[in-house]
Amino acid sequence: MDEDNSSPFRRMSSRTRKVAPRMVAALANSDNRAQAALARLEALENDNAGMETIEINEDDDTSLDDEDQVYMHKRQSKGTKRKTRQAKALENARKAPRTFAELLHEASLETLPSHVPSYLRAAVGPPSSTSRRHFCTVCGYAASYTCVKCGMRFCSCRCQNIHNDTRCLKFVA
Amino acid sequence: MSNVVVVLDNGGGLIKAGLGGERDPSTVLPNCLLRPLSSKKWLHPSPTIAASSEDPLDLTSAAVRRPLDRGYLINPDLQRDIWAHLFNSLLHISPSQSSLLLTEPLFALPSIQRATDELVFEDFNFSALYVADSPSLAHIYETSRRHVVSRGAAQCSLVVDCGFSFTHAAPVFQNFTLNYAVKRIDLGGKALTNYLKELVSYRSVNVMDETFLMDDVKEKLCFVSLDVARDLGVARKPGKKNLLRCTYVLPDGVTHTKGFVKDPDQAQRYLSLTDGALTSNLGAKVDMDHIEVTEKPEDRKRIDLTKNEFDLTNERFLVPEMLFHPADLGMNQAGLAECIVRAVNSCHPHLHPILYESIILTGGSTLFPRFAERLEKELRPLVPDDYQVKITTQENPILGVWRGGSLLASSPDFEAMCVTKSEYEELGSARCRRRFFH
Ligand SMILES: [Zn+2]
Ligand SMILES: [Zn+2]
Repeated sequence: MDEDNSSPFRRMSSRTRKVAPRMVAALANSDNRAQAALARLEALENDNAGMETIEINEDDDTSLDDEDQVYMHKRQSKGTKRKTRQAKALENARKAPRTFAELLHEASLETLPSHVPSYLRAAVGPPSSTSRRHFCTVCGYAASYTCVKCGMRFCSCRCQNIHNDTRCLKFVA
Repeated sequence: MSNVVVVLDNGGGLIKAGLGGERDPSTVLPNCLLRPLSSKKWLHPSPTIAASSEDPLDLTSAAVRRPLDRGYLINPDLQRDIWAHLFNSLLHISPSQSSLLLTEPLFALPSIQRATDELVFEDFNFSALYVADSPSLAHIYETSRRHVVSRGAAQCSLVVDCGFSFTHAAPVFQNFTLNYAVKRIDLGGKALTNYLKELVSYRSVNVMDETFLMDDVKEKLCFVSLDVARDLGVARKPGKKNLLRCTYVLPDGVTHTKGFVKDPDQAQRYLSLTDGALTSNLGAKVDMDHIEVTEKPEDRKRIDLTKNEFDLTNERFLVPEMLFHPADLGMNQAGLAECIVRAVNSCHPHLHPILYESIILTGGSTLFPRFAERLEKELRPLVPDDYQVKITTQENPILGVWRGGSLLASSPDFEAMCVTKSEYEELGSARCRRRFFH
């Protein structure tokens, strides 16, 4: 964290935001805006939005992953005696928490017969009306323009400039 | 079997826990570990309804680890740690002398159910387990309160559970959730807080790391709009005419470690925007595209950084708005009203009128002011004219599910509904789980 201690809160502009690699890849190809939009939605389920970024940038050795491992080791040390490093690594990999998406993939629910209720079948599905309201990503008001580079919306020249300076192709990773 | 039943509503955001038969849970606790800036270690959060109002931890920029992802248990080791703290230090119970009534989200994957059973029986040695889903518990609690004459109405409800990780519309019939008819929107309180963080960070101050602070902002200042076009117009008016503008003061880390609403009266002014008051207020119907821009965007961007505060205007209602129109965010999912209609339509036609007149709102995200009003406004045109639409908000949408669990745990049938530890050892997780299905 930078040592500007006046406040833990900093202005957006004073801070470089990390762009997720997936997002860069998606945006490099303008056809893939939909994918970028999906990645942005994914980010709404994140914990610690900026935290990981800071830790990665500073090579902080108490990053979340290391903490996880220390935590895992403590858990495993009870009851088990010596283990080879490999066995430990294997076990760690096996026991490392996986995301829900990974667990869902492993459950292969799509192979269930269609009458069986499941997580996948319970999804509400697309809206019946395709009309989408567009709000300016800068100020929130009705937006009639779309950025040709990233697909985000803005309402006016003023907001377009702000968008180009601060938001365009920058996402919260 | 022992007679102590621990009732544990294990939410993605909050754990609600206590003993069966009591009116309210004795502990409400964030389901996570925290690492404040001042600490190298991960710490247990303090219960949210603890006697002392002063949280000893400064949660500014604290990192968070949660055992649940998208509502489902993904990190049993972390959950074990949190539960051990809960049982030993907060509830002071001995699991081997107790039964457990545990909530689990609908459609939990078999691997997740197995991991849960292992925690309950192998790590904690509970003597018996009953797994319940939130909608049926909310239904049980509400029907116990209703003095209904009509029998049909007492037997079924359409429970809208809008929690931390997702939103479900779930028809419940004779205390069982009709899972073939349940519909889910992948949005809950967590996504709303993150969206608010994003808006405030891009528009004024960087709060991307401030989960707890922004939860507070959301809870105190957000509301559901009854007319989005109108409220967007009001939100851009200058000075005192802007009934929606309000200011939130950030913690300075010295005199206060928590943020607060600068002028609570100012923050409440939007309540005067009822359908009647609006016409007199604005004089004419506001057409969104022709609003005179009375305020330059820079005005609202000008933030006094020495004061460490930020203003909110349209963010207050654009955030909960997502639940009603996820498509506005680019999400390919129907909104809440349509979600309810689809759930109802998946049930037998005889149930349709009864379900529409017994809609129950539960879950913390239904606490936004005017949530029920807006929902009714959107739902009414989608429901056949000869059906009534009646929406009940739970008296306490955060505790309602737990209270239903407490009632169930103290019912005479409860013991017979449980799976005992010896049955689990003999039959294994998958076969025991079949008992909870219907
Ligand atoms: Zn704009
Ligand atoms: Zn752009």
